[in-house]
Amino acid sequence: MPNSIVCYKWVMDEQDIKVNPSTLELATAGAKWKISEYDRNAVEAATAMQEQHGGTVHALSFGGENLKNSLKDVLSRGADSVTWIADASAADADAAVTAKVLAAAIKKAGVPDLIFFGDGSADHYSQQVGARVAALLGLPHVGNAQSVQFADGKLVAERQLRDSIETVKVACPVVVSVLPAANTARIPSLKQILAAGKKPMTAMTTADLGLAADDTTPRQTQVSLLGAKMDRKNKIFKESSVEASVAALVQALKADNVL
Amino acid sequence: MSNIWIVSDSAEVAAQMLTPALALAGSGDTVRAMVTTDEAAKAVADCGVAVLRLQLADNRFESAIAVMAEQIKAAPAKAVLVGATPRGREVAAGLAALLDAGMASEVSEVRADGDAVEVKRYVLGGMAVSTLRLVAPACMSIAGGTFVAPAAAGAAGAVTTLDVPADARVSVESLKAVAREGVDLASAKRVVCVGRGLEKQEDLAIIEALAKALGAETACSRGVAEDLKWMPLDKYVGISGVRLKADVHVSVGISGQVQHVAGIRDAKVIVAVDQNENALIFQAADYGVVGNLYDIVPALTKALA
Repeated sequence: MPNSIVCYKWVMDEQDIKVNPSTLELATAGAKWKISEYDRNAVEAATAMQEQHGGTVHALSFGGENLKNSLKDVLSRGADSVTWIADASAADADAAVTAKVLAAAIKKAGVPDLIFFGDGSADHYSQQVGARVAALLGLPHVGNAQSVQFADGKLVAERQLRDSIETVKVACPVVVSVLPAANTARIPSLKQILAAGKKPMTAMTTADLGLAADDTTPRQTQVSLLGAKMDRKNKIFKESSVEASVAALVQALKADNVL
Repeated sequence: MSNIWIVSDSAEVAAQMLTPALALAGSGDTVRAMVTTDEAAKAVADCGVAVLRLQLADNRFESAIAVMAEQIKAAPAKAVLVGATPRGREVAAGLAALLDAGMASEVSEVRADGDAVEVKRYVLGGMAVSTLRLVAPACMSIAGGTFVAPAAAGAAGAVTTLDVPADARVSVESLKAVAREGVDLASAKRVVCVGRGLEKQEDLAIIEALAKALGAETACSRGVAEDLKWMPLDKYVGISGVRLKADVHVSVGISGQVQHVAGIRDAKVIVAVDQNENALIFQAADYGVVGNLYDIVPALTKALA
């Protein structure tokens, strides 16, 4: 009966963000927020584990004040309960800060058998927090997990590496970061959505976790954040026939010396 | 008088990282390396850099994190550059945590800024570029193909062995090699990439015919690999998949979401074929043909034959 904690991030939906074409500044007004889709795979992995083996699934997140809008969402996806830490320091937090906050919260809750993370967050995709939390807690980290199972009281995971699949068996407690390919996050049923509001939601502060100012000070500063320019010719071939358009395309490619 | 560390389980990426590492080294700074294979040790030593060749008791790069952190902490370190292979990414983050350092993942540019390091990386699915400043030890991971390795020169660097004990908590049940179909996509010069505009799996035949005529490798969008499973996972191009450096990239039936475009933006010439003239892919392309791919692709194959 493995107990799990699954960590997730509440992020702005990048599809709602607009880039000013002349200044390249980002306009985020009116953007909706979501649970990072890669974290939904982590919640799904924890939920599926519980359906097979029992145990509890506790969700955990660190973010700004609007993090409270994520609670019913994550509870409707399979978590039994959620702890959320909202702090102003989340605005500029890097992976170093996030990992310290989550590690402190996990220690306070009591280190469970399994700690799930997504591969990376939909906004920054740094792919660091899971491995950092594991290092801070002195636990093994199993990343790039394309499948996770529980057998003989241990985590069995297949890891997708560059040229191989490594299957490892690791004693608990263990931190695992799952790939998007690991599963398809289920769409919450109406029953799950209605039940979400009644599940325990616990707010915590960084002070509750005994964190000092240095713990929530990022180790990197963002100098700028601008839209990525993609200067392409944008030439559309619209001749009278497909053959003519294709011929014009081939000619252009030859002129570019790429054929 | 600081060290700039290169850390990798890949000979190719280790050699490539010498370029930004040497550029970061000010007078009095030393570039040093920690690698896990003889091939990597030689590649780095041939460029005159001293190497610690890690002997992994359990053949797992991840087991070396604590040992490597100790080496790095033994003397002032300005920066730590880790090759962003799947294992490398995890190792880099674990190292950064033990060093209580900032870390920028898969940076596209690196430059010294006094005693600090400034890097750039793509965020928001590839839509934006974040410029970050990190103080020493500035940790970062670097993907293969981001930099070009310097030429071997001068007297070879010393190679010393460092034993790394096994991680007793982790038991390796199996390690199965995955057969690669064709060339490593990240180094392919020409690529034809197909998306969900293709109606059925059998129609991949027309894509393969085009690739053959073009002398190209085939690839796909994430949905085709992950959801439809029509092509293997190592063939999908995008921010969380392969990032291409091709000379020519032909995109067929792909709408061009930013996460996919992040994987093609370094291609020299991008061609898009899609039936929706408003598809985002056309904004990311040099050349486009709007229409039915079932007409255009065979016509293009014929024109290239």
